[in-house]
Amino acid sequence: MTTPSVELKNVSLIFGDGDPRNENVTAVDNTSLEIPTGQFVAIVGPSGCGKTTILNMLAGLIKPTLGSVKRNGQEVEGPSRDIGYMLARSALSPWRTAKQNVELGLEIRGMTKQERSKKSLELLSQLRLEGFADSYPSMLSQGMQQRVAIARTLAIDPDLWLLDEPFGALDAQTRLTVQSEFISLWESNPGKTVIFVTHDLEEAVLLADRVIVMTARPGKIKSDTTVPIPRPRIVDELKFDPVFTETEHKIWKELRDELV
Amino acid sequence: MSSSESPETSEKSQIDSGELRRWRIRQLDIPTQLLRLLVLITGLLIWQYELIFKGVPITVFGFEPLPEINSIFYAVPTDVWVYLADYYHELMFWKDLWVTLQEAIWGFVIGGSTGFIVGIVLGYFLRLQKIFGPFLVFANAVPKIAFAPILILWYGVDMGSKIALATIIVFFIVQMPTTAAVGLVDPDLNMLATTMGATKSQLFKKVVIPGIMPAVFGALRLAAIYAMLSVVFGEFIASKRGLGQRLLVSTNMFNMADAFALMLVLAIVALALNGVIGLAERRVLKWQTTRRGGQVISL
Repeated sequence: MTTPSVELKNVSLIFGDGDPRNENVTAVDNTSLEIPTGQFVAIVGPSGCGKTTILNMLAGLIKPTLGSVKRNGQEVEGPSRDIGYMLARSALSPWRTAKQNVELGLEIRGMTKQERSKKSLELLSQLRLEGFADSYPSMLSQGMQQRVAIARTLAIDPDLWLLDEPFGALDAQTRLTVQSEFISLWESNPGKTVIFVTHDLEEAVLLADRVIVMTARPGKIKSDTTVPIPRPRIVDELKFDPVFTETEHKIWKELRDELV
Repeated sequence: MSSSESPETSEKSQIDSGELRRWRIRQLDIPTQLLRLLVLITGLLIWQYELIFKGVPITVFGFEPLPEINSIFYAVPTDVWVYLADYYHELMFWKDLWVTLQEAIWGFVIGGSTGFIVGIVLGYFLRLQKIFGPFLVFANAVPKIAFAPILILWYGVDMGSKIALATIIVFFIVQMPTTAAVGLVDPDLNMLATTMGATKSQLFKKVVIPGIMPAVFGALRLAAIYAMLSVVFGEFIASKRGLGQRLLVSTNMFNMADAFALMLVLAIVALALNGVIGLAERRVLKWQTTRRGGQVISL
């Protein structure tokens, strides 16, 4: 058997503020999860169920209190350069142009200026932002800013993409466009593992191969469902597919009890 | 995708020259300029014809805010202008200006750079901030002008004492906001750069330094004005040379036209220093300029 891209084994994460009078908060409770390389997994659940905490542990930003977190068979010790992380807030540097923002990760790993420039222009044009390479984020719409953030995440060619509600701040229309651009980018990059945290079940079923439902705090895995929809997917048509509705309904029944 | 997202690319190619000219004229905002001129002229006329110095009979809680002022204690614009125009030929004036300017610039440079460095160090190392914080707050609470007589005893009546005073004042103006700005750098930017594997020094160069620049430049602009203020005050206390010293002498001799003219010169010098920093700011904070629609807001 091949090594999974991501492996959580009996992971618990307990937050405490060190004050012995206060009760500690269990964000993630004895959770195990295995994700093979190249899979697109969505994690859904009520807010505060530890979804983001799982991403942060994988990114090496926090260590689990108990259990082990492995990437490609190796224990996660700290941040690593082959992970791409993306948030709902575009978190672009306001003092960098779109192009310079895309190049941030490449600068960090010391790529030459020419290589950086080639790579970033290529990505910007894939995301239909060619004309905006020299625009500052404040001059771009939210959808465009988020597309720059996608380009920045992909520029470093990570093999694990950690996405924390990446389209959560976009309006419905823009979201649909960015989603389909994103999914076609992923489908044209085989072998990239994606963990996609969202509170939007529809989005999870549209994009992912597998949807994991987490319980309200303390976060645990409640259900793990495979989405039987083939790829490539046409996001804006899929919504009317009976298999889609059926899958969404099935997962919804699991999720409903957790949302109070 | 919706066309509303790309207005710039589609319209850039077909600009109408008449449209451009009209836009440029609108940018000048002629009505505002004319009204400004009107305000300036009105002000000068009120001053010239002594409409306020002659006294305005208003009483506020038994206090007269605009009393009649003896005509030897003020000068009108035409008299002031005579002195201003005369300075150009007067070597002593240029020598005094050069002394004051040097004092202000040295105070600004020494106080500004140490304030910036200490500000960053304290912002970055929280333990140091906790240890030194209360002492700095206390030192800052001392009315720093009160150091002036002591500094003259320590550094003498020449430029040294004025530079020292300006340094102390500028230091705090720059250090406090710099330290605060380091703590306010967007945590998302920090986190994302960290997940990309940025080292501590990369985080510093690519996230912290550019992130604090708006606050630092705001502080530097203020510091330039305060550097002038402190050297003029230092010269008032005791000095051999400088515009402040000259202003004091003129006022003591009731040479009001000279005094008013010197105040005007001091304001122009302070604004010039502020403007130089503004130019640097425009370059460094180009991204902010664009956001404000091409205007750098000046102090």
